[in-house]
This record gives sequence, C-alpha cells and structure tokens, in this order.
Amino acid sequence: MFLVPLVANSPCLVRVIEFFYPMRVTRIAGLLAALGAALFIFGGLIRAADANFPIYFPGSKLLVKAETFNREIYLPLKEILESMGVPYTDALALETLTIRSGNARLVVTKNSALMSYNDQIVLLPSPVLREESRWLVPIEFLTMALTRLTGTEFRYRPGTSRIFAENVDAPELEMNAQTLGPITRLTIRCGVPLNLDLKRDNQRAVLAIDRSPLDPVRERVDHRDRLLRSVVFDDSDGEAKLVLEITRDVSDIRVTPADNNRIFFVDLRKGEPVTEAPPLVETPAPAARPDVIPPVERKVRVVVIDPGHGGMDTGAKGATVAEKDITLILARRLRTALQMRLGTTVLLTRDSDIALDNEARSAVANNNQANLFISLHTGYSLNKLDASSYVFVMKENFGEASTTSAPAGARDPLFLPWYLGYRTHRQASMAAANILQEELSKAIQGSTFAVRTAPLAVLSSATMPAMLLELGNLNNLANAQTMLDGGYQTRLINIVADAVQRFSESPQAAAN
Amino acid sequence: MGFFVDIVGRVRSLVNERETEENPFKPPTQPLYAPTDPAIMVKIFFPAATGDTLLVAADQTIFKSAEVGNRARQILQKLQEGPQVDTLLPPLPKDTKVQDIFISEQGTAFIDFSNAIATGHPGGVLNELATIYSIVDSLTYNLPEIKQVKILVGGVEKETLAGHCLLLLPLEMDLSITNVMPREEKIATLPRSASALASSLKE
Repeated sequence: MFLVPLVANSPCLVRVIEFFYPMRVTRIAGLLAALGAALFIFGGLIRAADANFPIYFPGSKLLVKAETFNREIYLPLKEILESMGVPYTDALALETLTIRSGNARLVVTKNSALMSYNDQIVLLPSPVLREESRWLVPIEFLTMALTRLTGTEFRYRPGTSRIFAENVDAPELEMNAQTLGPITRLTIRCGVPLNLDLKRDNQRAVLAIDRSPLDPVRERVDHRDRLLRSVVFDDSDGEAKLVLEITRDVSDIRVTPADNNRIFFVDLRKGEPVTEAPPLVETPAPAARPDVIPPVERKVRVVVIDPGHGGMDTGAKGATVAEKDITLILARRLRTALQMRLGTTVLLTRDSDIALDNEARSAVANNNQANLFISLHTGYSLNKLDASSYVFVMKENFGEASTTSAPAGARDPLFLPWYLGYRTHRQASMAAANILQEELSKAIQGSTFAVRTAPLAVLSSATMPAMLLELGNLNNLANAQTMLDGGYQTRLINIVADAVQRFSESPQAAAN
Repeated sequence: MGFFVDIVGRVRSLVNERETEENPFKPPTQPLYAPTDPAIMVKIFFPAATGDTLLVAADQTIFKSAEVGNRARQILQKLQEGPQVDTLLPPLPKDTKVQDIFISEQGTAFIDFSNAIATGHPGGVLNELATIYSIVDSLTYNLPEIKQVKILVGGVEKETLAGHCLLLLPLEMDLSITNVMPREEKIATLPRSASALASSLKE
C-alpha cells in the first residue's frame, strides 16, 4: 500500500486504487511487473511488421522491404541507389553514407535527421538509421533529397504503400461497394481499360488486374455486410490485385465489365449457386444507374475549408449575428455537400467555436496534402446599403521584394520563407477563383463576386490552390438576414460545390 | 461587505492605471510645420462607399515641413479626420492615434498606431484592405522618401489588424486598387534605368 501517498492527489488513480484495494498486495505486484515488462518491450523502438513496398519506375519496378520504426516508414537506401545506378560510398568508421551525382554530393549520418546537401544542412522529419550494413531512410528522404540530387521526381501519398518515380503512368483506380438487396456489388472504375482475373478459395477472392502501376484512390473499401468483409488493394509484390474477404454465404461471384473494360461490377450472391438461366438482375444497363457517370479524372481529393475567425475573435459583427457563426454553419454545410457529391475528403480547420491563428489554419491544409483550400468569411462595409461579395486570392509577388536571399534564377530554392508558400500555386489559385466567380455570379443576383487580390495572412503560407470567399455585408441588415436563410445557404453551397467540381476537372488542378 | 468594497476598489484602480499607462507622459506637442513652410497639394486615399474602385483620392493641402516624419504625420492626420464628402468613407476607426513614426534609411516608414486601430476595427477583408492601403498609398504616393510602410499596433508588430491582411512585412504602394495613375516621373525613370543597364551590359 506504499503506492497510495504517491498518487493520492490524482483522482483517477485514486479510483483505480479503490478498485484494486480488495486484491492482495501480491497480485498488484504481479500486475505491476507485467505492466513494466510490457513497457520495457514496447517502450523503446516501436517496430511494426515489415511490408513489401514497390517503387515504380518507368518501365521497371523495384520491390523493397519497408520497415516501420516509431510510426515512420523506412526504406532501404542502398537497394534504391543501386537500382537507380547512383554511386555511393559507405564509410563504416565515420558512420556516414555519401551519395554523389554529377557535382552534387549528399551526406547522411547514422541516427541523425540532419543531412548535408552540397554543404547545406537539410533537416529530415526523422533520423536516418543504420542496421548492420543496411541504411534505412524515412520515405520523405526520396522527395527531399534524392529528387534534388538526381532530378528523379518521386510521388508518394501518405497512407499508401507505393511510390511512383518520374512520370510513370499510374491510372487512378476507384472502388466502391454497396448492398443492393440480395447482392453486394463492388464497382471498380479506372481511366484505362483493364482485365480482371478472378480466383476464389473459400473465404478469399483475388481479382488480379493485368495492369501494374495503378494508383488506387483508396487503399481499402470500408463496407461490411452479410457477404463482404473487406476489400483491399494489394500490390506488395508489384502486381496489382484486389483481395476480397468474403463470408461463407457467398455462393457466386460474377464479374461484369462495362464501358469498354473501364468499369467492372463484381456481384457477390448468396444462396444456392444460381445458374445462368434465372433472370436475376441480368447485368443492369449501366446508363440507368445514376452513379455510373463516365469517369473523369478528378484531381481534387482533399479539400480543406476554413471557417473564418472563432472563439474570442468574433470577426465582423452584425446586428444579430457574428461572422464566426455564419462561417462555421456554411463550412459544415459545404463539407457535407462536397463529401456527398464529389466523394472528396473534406476537412475543416475548426469544427467548433474556437480561436485559431492564421498559420494554424493553413497548416491544416498543408499537413493534410489538401488540393484545394477555401477560407470562408463574411464582409463588413461602412456603407449600409452595400451587399457585394468577393473572391480573394493572394496578392501577386507579395513578399518577394523582402526575400533577397533567393537568387532570381533559382527554380526550386532549398528553403522558402513561410509567407511565400502561396507562390507555386498562385496561378491555379487564380484559376480556381475565376471559376468560383463565374459560377456564383451566374446564379446569385446582387453581386458580381469580383476576384480581388490582397496580402492575406491565411492564404500566404498555403501550398496549394487557395482562395478566400468573402460574402455580403453584415452591416446591411437585409443582407445579414439573407445569409442566415437556409434556402439561400443551400443554393450558395451547391454553387460552390459546382465550382469545386469544375475546378477539379480543369487542367489547373494539378495533383500535388 | 468590506471584501467587496476592496475588490471594487482594486478593479477601479486597475482600470485607472490602464488609462494612465496608455500614455504615461505626454511629450510637449511640437508644431508639425513652421509658419514659413509652403503649402503643397497631396492626394489622400479614402475608401469609396460604392463602386469597384477600392480607394479614391481626395486633394488636400499640407505644409511642406522640413522633416519627412512631420509631413507623414500631417498626411495621417488628414486620414484620421476623414473625408469631406459623402461618397467616401472614413478609413480609420474612431479614436485611432498615431503614437510614433520612424523612417529608416532604406525608406521604410514604421508607423505605430494606438490599439484602437485593431480593437475598433469592424472587420471584413475588403474593409481591412482599404484601411491598410489608405495609409500605405497616401504616404508612399505623396512622399517619395517613403518606399514602403510597416504598420505597428500599440508599439508592437501584429500579424493582422482584424484577422485578414498580413502586416508582418512592410507594404509597398499599390495604385491598382485606386483611381490614380502612377506618377509620370516614376515611369520616366524606368527607361532611363533600363538604358543605363543596357549600356553597363555593353561595357
């Protein structure tokens, strides 16, 4: 019972001790010992199961064993370098690895997140590891260092387990599952024709795809019903396939191609094996189904919506309503609309009435690899009759005069001041703003929704197409009332969703 | 009871202290210009009540004092006083005071406003943009010595006035949002410098 005085001031622990009190001391000691052992085993380097990780080069592929330490995925560096034909020197005594390409030189050090690139220090998100004679680098090493050194571009989406190098052609693959009465239908869509080969053993069905580098929009389908347990995209051996975990109830699996092998319906059926004869939903005409629209390439996968102001910072104040409340209502409704209509991932920078600084808002978009950032605000004009709305993008060339360090010709400077983050996507931002302006001015009377530029704090460090929509005038009583009207909001949200969809299909929406 | 009196007294003294802290000692007010200084015409940029042009210039007179800082003070005074016509709006919140002005050798004017410019600002992106650029454009257009303007609030750097426009970097003149064309002499200097550049390249 020596523990009691130590932890007595913590109410939750007191309760734990009350709970354990009837137990004998020996038992508690046993529990503590077990806990200690568990901490000893898992507390150090948390290491997860190793998985195969394909890297697709144009015309070839490399399978490497990825290892996970402390939730960071590591790849064996030497194997990648050897397959790319990049020379390196492994200095055993110095515990460094030097990679050369042309005149460029990159040095990494064991257990250090700092690396030297042409004598400049670059910081990796996690340290480089060395195990026996293997060098393990975090995945960001490829984009942060190897791309600079060799000029080979790498594309990697967090959460996936594959890397595309250079301009390797990897068409997107979309999967969707739904329960349709007695059958469960898995719909597979791709921009290019495919061939599927079905193999089934008891509770697993494997659909081998004859095309190898594919970029699945989602790694797995989270649909679970009487027939289907899970669908997972698997290309760990370099061959793309879908693995379906099915239940014992499934008696028949039928694969029906449509749209010149660009769409496949995989129907799982229950009951006695149905022969071809019964007229049970004989491959329904694809045109009749509302969700079978010819697949268009959509590049906007993640949208971040920023409801302006919040918490102490109320924003502009109208007679009856504050800016922070309108923006939050609109943002939530826009999230639902975008998720339903486009199936995009939509994140809000705040989903409650909290204060947030501008840097944190753009950080949400940056950290989630958003393809579009929309900040919502309402206007305030001293002119009580005014009701104009505007679409804002970042002011061109803002802050460039203040950065004298970057040489004029540098295409991709090593370090970018945070307030210049907007620069790479400013043209796309402008394109997105123009689309939004067109759609809004077409459908909503009373304002031209003119596109304006301003040195906006929330847009300056957003590294994706980003814009700010400023709606109406809270100083105008009638206008403030309109903005609170549910019907008006629905119309507005639908138009914004239209604009996002149009932008998503436009060439400016380059996937980052 | 006595406890409450004590609390009230403390709060009152806190409030009083605050008032005096705002300006602990007033410097002797010096005249911003001498009687002999000639009058000059300046364009003061005010937010337009309607229309697509954000800022509209109004012609006003100030006196050409010897110090640039004092000329800047006069211009800011005109902004504080507000426009004289109904079609223009006051650019600064009421009670905004200019606490200090410092002009660096590189031509950056540091203007320190009292907290009222931020706390009294009604908000709105366009409205905030108008406030900031009425200050920046009025100063840079009329005083060629000032190349850029850095706005401080209550003596310190602030990210924004009301949450929108970034103030962490000095701002340059932007006449694209006004009804005024850039001054001709500034255009005239361009070809000259270009030809100078070309001749230096030849050498």
